[in-house]
Amino acid sequence: MAQLLNLLPWRRRRLERELDRELRFHMERRVDDLRQAGATDTEARRQAALEFGGLARVREDVRETWAWRWLDHVGRDVRYALRTLRRSPGFAIAALLSLALGTGVNAAIFSLVDQVVLRPLPVSDPDRLVHLVWRGTTLTTGWGYGYLMSYPLCRDLQEQREFFDGIFCRHVTTVNFSTGQQREPVRAEIVSGSYFPALGVRPALGRLLDVSDDLQRGAHPVIVVSYDYWMNRLGGSREVVGRKVLVNNYPMTVIGVAPAGFPGVDPLAPPMLWVPAAMTEQAANIDAYWDRLLDRRAAWLNVLGRLKPGVSADQAKAGLQPWFKSMLEADARREGFPRVTAEQQRAFLTSTIDIVPAPRGLSGRRGTLERPVWVLTGGTLLLLLLATLNVAGLMLARGAARSRELTTRLAIGATRARMTGQVLVESLLVTLGGGALGLLAAPGVARVLLAYLSQDSDMSVHIDGRVFAFAFLTSVATGALCAIAPALQTGRIPLIASLKERSTQPAGGGLRLRKALMIGQLAFTLILLVGAGLFVQTLAHLYDEAAFPSSRLLMLSVNPPTSGYSPSDAEHVMREVYRRLREVPDIERVAAANTRIFEGGAASTTLTIQSDKRFVTDGAVARMRVGPGFFATLGTRVIGGREFDEADVRPPGAAPTAYRTAIVNESFARRYFKDRSPVGYWLGLGNRPDAVTNIEIVGVVKDIGFRDLRDTEREKVYFHFWDRDSDGGTFYVKVRGSGDSGFAAIRAAVARVDPALPVTLTTFDEQIERSLRTERMLAALSTGFAVMALLLSAIGLYGVMSFVVTQRTQEIGVRLALGATRSGAMWLVIREGLIMVGAGTAIALPAAWALKRLVDAELFGVRAFDGPTVALAMTVLAIVTLGGVMVPAWRAASLSPTDALRLE
Amino acid sequence: MASARFPIPQGTLDMLILQTLSLGPAHGYAIAQRIQQVSREAVQVNQGSLYPALHRLEQKRWLKAAWRPSETGREAKFYAITRAGQKQLAAEKETWDRLAAAVQLIFNEGS
Repeated sequence: MAQLLNLLPWRRRRLERELDRELRFHMERRVDDLRQAGATDTEARRQAALEFGGLARVREDVRETWAWRWLDHVGRDVRYALRTLRRSPGFAIAALLSLALGTGVNAAIFSLVDQVVLRPLPVSDPDRLVHLVWRGTTLTTGWGYGYLMSYPLCRDLQEQREFFDGIFCRHVTTVNFSTGQQREPVRAEIVSGSYFPALGVRPALGRLLDVSDDLQRGAHPVIVVSYDYWMNRLGGSREVVGRKVLVNNYPMTVIGVAPAGFPGVDPLAPPMLWVPAAMTEQAANIDAYWDRLLDRRAAWLNVLGRLKPGVSADQAKAGLQPWFKSMLEADARREGFPRVTAEQQRAFLTSTIDIVPAPRGLSGRRGTLERPVWVLTGGTLLLLLLATLNVAGLMLARGAARSRELTTRLAIGATRARMTGQVLVESLLVTLGGGALGLLAAPGVARVLLAYLSQDSDMSVHIDGRVFAFAFLTSVATGALCAIAPALQTGRIPLIASLKERSTQPAGGGLRLRKALMIGQLAFTLILLVGAGLFVQTLAHLYDEAAFPSSRLLMLSVNPPTSGYSPSDAEHVMREVYRRLREVPDIERVAAANTRIFEGGAASTTLTIQSDKRFVTDGAVARMRVGPGFFATLGTRVIGGREFDEADVRPPGAAPTAYRTAIVNESFARRYFKDRSPVGYWLGLGNRPDAVTNIEIVGVVKDIGFRDLRDTEREKVYFHFWDRDSDGGTFYVKVRGSGDSGFAAIRAAVARVDPALPVTLTTFDEQIERSLRTERMLAALSTGFAVMALLLSAIGLYGVMSFVVTQRTQEIGVRLALGATRSGAMWLVIREGLIMVGAGTAIALPAAWALKRLVDAELFGVRAFDGPTVALAMTVLAIVTLGGVMVPAWRAASLSPTDALRLE
Repeated sequence: MASARFPIPQGTLDMLILQTLSLGPAHGYAIAQRIQQVSREAVQVNQGSLYPALHRLEQKRWLKAAWRPSETGREAKFYAITRAGQKQLAAEKETWDRLAAAVQLIFNEGS
């Protein structure tokens, strides 16, 4: 403790004063003694000084006992570094800014990576959570994302207590929620009764769902609300427990509130309420065609479990297989099992069950965000490394300029270790400063990234302790990295030689290091350039894919139930809106559909196909309901048969029957009908043996995407929109003239049906832009990174080559005097620049090859190691770096031989 | 440069200082003089290491220091041994004795 106190400046001053007095006393006593022994005054003084040795050295050694040595050094080094940095503000600003850029972007990306990828679920012991996955053929119809299972299978699994402390299942849906006055659509998680007990969550209020709430179909009208929803929308009152509410118009009772911060199993999409699976029919937006709850071929649940302590995922997996196999065999014998080919039967029976660790829960959005986020991480790390090299280069250049100072300090007794420490402290000071600046910028950067990345904003900008720690560690690491090169250089200064040297030019050792750093920068720049090229091309290809008459296309979504219409009245409203829209003269075409395309979602179904034989599809086929004229409105070509027409429309008031007609896409036709036309054959919904194949295929259309623009080549089936009751949907409207003029006309038409009906009206352009947000961000950011890298490299190269020319002034002068041409002199410099570019390329190309796998999934229409892109990137790099080399080269060429030689 | 004087082994100086001060407080110069006199000039105290050692022992609280007028009338920094210093001295003496005895045993065996 005393040692820490000794760092205080006033204490320090007193110690110094006293040491001075003490040593002076010693010297004087010695001189006195020597004089008494007969020496003259001068002799005595000389003798005493000789005996004592270096006074400065003794002082230094004593000082070291006052404070912990390193602490003391650090304190003094920091002061010294601050002084020298103040003396060269240009260097300080350049270094701080490039590091602030590097760290800021990295911290922002890290806050996203942390949320999307790293952070475990906030439940007790998340490491024991696992996801149960069916590997192989399921022969099921699915709703939702990820690996899905049926409710009966989930119940079976709950009996497997040997390996698990609990198994639970969940399904995410949107329900209309009402507490009396307002109704609003909210995200809900339908869960088995084992959900909360297995996750080990305690209520904030009331009680949570348990197994007794999930026993009998329709018999448990109870829900749990999330903490956030309770606080923000239900007033945070304790009276909420026992409150009667409406879930999809069905009366239910709130029994409790989940704890604060509990996001369900999907941290990126937390639900507002939880409903027992037994209430699925009442709570979920049921596709009425199936009875999902007890159907073993209806897959709609993610099944998760908590392993018993000490049981590994592999043990559970191995232990579960015998039971799973017998389950499969029992399933295949069960009545209602689809009639399948021998091959499909074999694939089904050889399925296995996999146990995948899921400490971070499950997230559909994670799948789409994880890769872009990693790609960004890669890019930003490269940028940070580049900034680090840049700062290291700057520090080397400074070290070269200060080499006289350094050698002088070495000569008067500073150790090399101390000098290295000094370099490290200075470097850390710069990087920590840059890191702090970067942290200030990080929230802004993160907000911009989020706006691009996430469709709706369940993710938030969190600059928390973890991000702070990340930025701090990054700064320390970059600081250490920056210091390596200058420290090496300091360690190598040949003391005597450089002191003798009269010129202020430093020794050449630093130059080789600077060149090596430069080559590294050029390599990183090339990688970033290649990345930028790939992402820009991907974006361009996707825009090509969006060949819709989009400037004249509008999307109008209406959802009558939210303003209180009953389902049958809602159907009437939909038909009325459709009728009114068709009467608007400004509208060229209008077609209805059940979903908004390019929003990431798609329903799917298995199908039974009746051609000359009867067979079922291998898996679920994406499906959508569209009205007459849908493809004409979107400009999608019908390549066989016809599209739906008004004659297919079920007359209003007639009972909703099953679908009567279907259209398939090109990929579907190719897969299931090879080179024949599917038109005139029949489809049935589902794959059960009793599926009725009474839906006629009337047409085949070109492939277009559902979920997003990349989604074109999946098999798809379209049913007739008006075949079924529809309580909401989206009208695709093609207007004459520009989109803007259509807005007012469309609103007016809707208002004539019900002025209070809320509508969502967007242009198709907006829709495409929104669906390409991630791609646009990758293209924009990678281009930005590449440009910054190019700039840094060009400036760096300029610095290094200028230095080279200065160093070789005499040599060049001699060459010119001996008859070398000016272009020869220029070439001398340019060649050195080109060699560095070449070396950088030689490093970058294998690295780019290795990074291929990271970016491949994000690309579209271009391969990850695309020849032309690489060639283009190399050309750009060569041109820009030549620009950096040109000025020094020109200086070399315009040297006057006599001036150059007169220098010495 | 052959000398009859011993250079002081590392760490031994601390023990000699403590021993000297166990007889009474003294300033740095006196300590150096006393060690040389008592050892009949055989042990030469390097002043370059004396003061760092004194300050180190002071920081460890084995010595305490105070400014007092010296025998010549000038103010000098007088060091005195503390209770902790005495304990340390006893421990070091014992270690030294054991080591010396052990070394002596080994020498005796060889002769």
